[in-house]
Amino acid sequence: MKKNKITRALLGAGALTLMSLSPAQAQDADGASIIRERCTACHIDSGDADKPFSRISEQRKTPEGWMMTISRMQKLRGAVIPADEKRALVKYLADNQGLAPAETEGLRYVLEKEPNVLESFDPLIQETCVRCHSGARIALQRRTEEEWKWLVHFHMGQQPTAELHAGARDRDWFGIALNQVAPKLGQDYALNTQQWSQWQAATKQPLNGSWAMSGFLPQKGNFNADVVVTQTDKDHYELTLNGQYEDGSKLSGSGKAVVYTGYEWRASVTVDGVKMRQVLAASADGKTLTGRMFERDADVMGGPVTAVKANAITKISPSYIKQGERKLITISGNQLKGSVALGSGVKVIRVESRDNNHLTVLVEASRSAAVGSRNVQVGKTSSKAALAVYDQLARVEITPVESIARVGGGGGLIPKQKSWYRAVGYAAGQDGKPGTADDLRLGYMPATWSLKPFDEIAEHDDDIRYAGTIDSRGIFTPGDAGPNPDRKMSTNNVGNLAVVGTVQDGQQTVSAQTHLLVTVQKFVQALID
Amino acid sequence: MIKPVFSRLTGAVRTAALGAVLGAGAVLTGCAGMPGMDSAGKTEMKAGGHEYMLTVTRPNKLHVVDTETDKLLHSCDVPGTFGNGSIAISPDGRTAYVLSNMMEDVYGIDITNCEITFAAKQSYANIQVKTFISLAVSADGKELYTVQNPVRKHIDRFETMPPRLAVYNTNAGLNAKPDRTFPVDRRITKIAAMENGEVILGGGDIKAINPDNGETRLITPLQNWERAPDKWVPPDAFAMHSMGEHVGEFIMPYFTIRWNGEPGDESKADFLWGHVRIDLKNGDLESIETVPFEFIVFNWVTDPNNKDVMFGSFNQLSKHNVKTGETLGVHGMDHTYYNINMTQDGQKIYVGGAGNTISIHEPDGLKRIGYLQMPGDMSTSDLRLAVLK
Repeated sequence: MKKNKITRALLGAGALTLMSLSPAQAQDADGASIIRERCTACHIDSGDADKPFSRISEQRKTPEGWMMTISRMQKLRGAVIPADEKRALVKYLADNQGLAPAETEGLRYVLEKEPNVLESFDPLIQETCVRCHSGARIALQRRTEEEWKWLVHFHMGQQPTAELHAGARDRDWFGIALNQVAPKLGQDYALNTQQWSQWQAATKQPLNGSWAMSGFLPQKGNFNADVVVTQTDKDHYELTLNGQYEDGSKLSGSGKAVVYTGYEWRASVTVDGVKMRQVLAASADGKTLTGRMFERDADVMGGPVTAVKANAITKISPSYIKQGERKLITISGNQLKGSVALGSGVKVIRVESRDNNHLTVLVEASRSAAVGSRNVQVGKTSSKAALAVYDQLARVEITPVESIARVGGGGGLIPKQKSWYRAVGYAAGQDGKPGTADDLRLGYMPATWSLKPFDEIAEHDDDIRYAGTIDSRGIFTPGDAGPNPDRKMSTNNVGNLAVVGTVQDGQQTVSAQTHLLVTVQKFVQALID
Repeated sequence: MIKPVFSRLTGAVRTAALGAVLGAGAVLTGCAGMPGMDSAGKTEMKAGGHEYMLTVTRPNKLHVVDTETDKLLHSCDVPGTFGNGSIAISPDGRTAYVLSNMMEDVYGIDITNCEITFAAKQSYANIQVKTFISLAVSADGKELYTVQNPVRKHIDRFETMPPRLAVYNTNAGLNAKPDRTFPVDRRITKIAAMENGEVILGGGDIKAINPDNGETRLITPLQNWERAPDKWVPPDAFAMHSMGEHVGEFIMPYFTIRWNGEPGDESKADFLWGHVRIDLKNGDLESIETVPFEFIVFNWVTDPNNKDVMFGSFNQLSKHNVKTGETLGVHGMDHTYYNINMTQDGQKIYVGGAGNTISIHEPDGLKRIGYLQMPGDMSTSDLRLAVLK
């Protein structure tokens, strides 16, 4: 029984992106008629054109939000909705009752499955709601105040012990949620907004064409790819990717995408045999796609990507050069034509190679070049503050600043959840003191990686021996799940560790550390955490 | 990293969250085949004040342990999916009322023969009714009390309804309905019947209700206590289990912080366990905070031979003087145990819950004197002492 539940939950988490495999004909299905056919056994068909269906018409959500709702209706409320109709329904609802781009700003991390994000919401919301699920899960919904109140009631029906949890039982949780939180949410996240009406009125740009994509994947590092997007039907696309990683190895892939709400790009792609997802947002002009690409079966393993259709620079690598240093720098983007300029004190010795979307130049910074950032220019295209000239590496920061990995495998159904790290270098800036506001960010730097116990308890319990290992790329792999008879009280292979990154810059060695908590599996999988 | 404001209790006890409530399907009633049973599914049980320890395991069995031999005597099937394993015992020690079916139904089971003598399905029509732990039997055994948390399931929405005390006649049979209901506070987790007829309601504040007319009085405030907020953090009372029957008391442990410097300055603060202890015979009340919050416990159990001494369990079994705050003994356990109880003479401590073993200890040095392998996971279940008259 437990096994089945977990399997279903895992399938549920992957389901939205499967929609990108949907047959084109489904998109034309009339969403309103599917609601009438499949949902009005419970939801009242009001006959009011402004809000035709009880509950449904008084909410707006992301495509993932609608997917979760409809899946819950199927699993817990007995709704019978065939797969193709479900795809059409999510599309219809996200298109007609979605969120405007401005309404998802700063909250996209939860859709993008970005790990280790530290949220900070209003204390009332944080304490009442965010102790169980992300704040973004709330902030990516729009409802009337009355609807927010019904959502509080839903919690008591669906999760009756919610008011007994730590952080709830020491206060009038239900009263606070109903009478303080719901009205606030009704104000902060109202159903009707100007942003939404403006977005509904805006012309949505088609996304077919040739794109230049730059990104980072933890296993292989930076990559560039030419992406060709072909429209197969309205809001439905096919795409191919061809490019290379920084080490010169090739990258190729293909897949399908669906665009929801006029800008929410969701693609399923297979890249070098690995099934991956793209959760991207298109800019209003349809010329830029930004977001995250990650492995379908291990969403932690992914990174930021940007694709541009217009003439633009997307990445400079490396993004720093030391006074007096001569090195190769790669500039990536789209239609990079014309001569290269890197700002005062930085000379282009020669162009080593170039094509439309990339060029590699041999560059030298003079010994007297001023410390600071430079704009990078290729022909008429420029990228602001894209290259840093520095005197010496003053400090290193390890990202993420807090992290979690989860034991897995070990005969269980839930795989290990890894974590991965990068080192960001800084120069001290004008004041010569590291750790002050004028520090100059140099960008990501290569590092060597090690682990140590985070505190005395971790040392005493020998966490380092059990909790997992880190490789030369900064990828941490946790230990096997399940009780370990070698440990005190046969505890799991959990641990409290520090991840140490060490950057070698010339004669200089600079280290920094970040916190890693290796914990138990996540037994409840949600499309939006 | 953003540090949470410690105006309320948050992270410190988060690890002590309620266990997940997952269960398997319903099973048939009747005795499970155990060694020593006769053909009618009964085992010989001694009456006349003999003591038995009761607990529930997944998927849904009620177990009877003889405290003389520390043997599992027999096991009774409980209808419905496991809820949280709450048990209330009739004053004659014969009937165990078990909360089942995802905390919705109550079954009265004769522990001597596994016969089901009482059944109340609390949910009805479109009303889903959950009881969080709180079950109690009146001192005369004639009434069963539950705190009901109803939610109306409209066709397209839930509507949370006010909680209420439900009063059942224990003779109402297998389709029992409440005789009376009275409104009560939210978040009540454990209740107990006093000899004067009142029912103690253990929620945010400790109150007592007269189950004849619903009149409620405040016994002692916890969440609404009138202490200076810059000196004390309102308490977090976590009452997962009912107990205290070996000495006739109700006990509600809680955690609080006393700020000795600026509020929020943890370096100058005392992190304390407190408790409210009520004598069910005469209503005498004790409220005190002395024991340092060095041990996680879900419960305290009182030493019958010295009421200043209490025992708690989680990862350790520990012994404390609650008047002085002194720790009198600590015994490291082999795994986490949620629950604890004792015999009336105070000679044996039973530590159970969380896993599938009951660890038995002597009260002086806390040494283990017995270990009982149970046939299933006790999870959040009660561990209660039945004294068979």
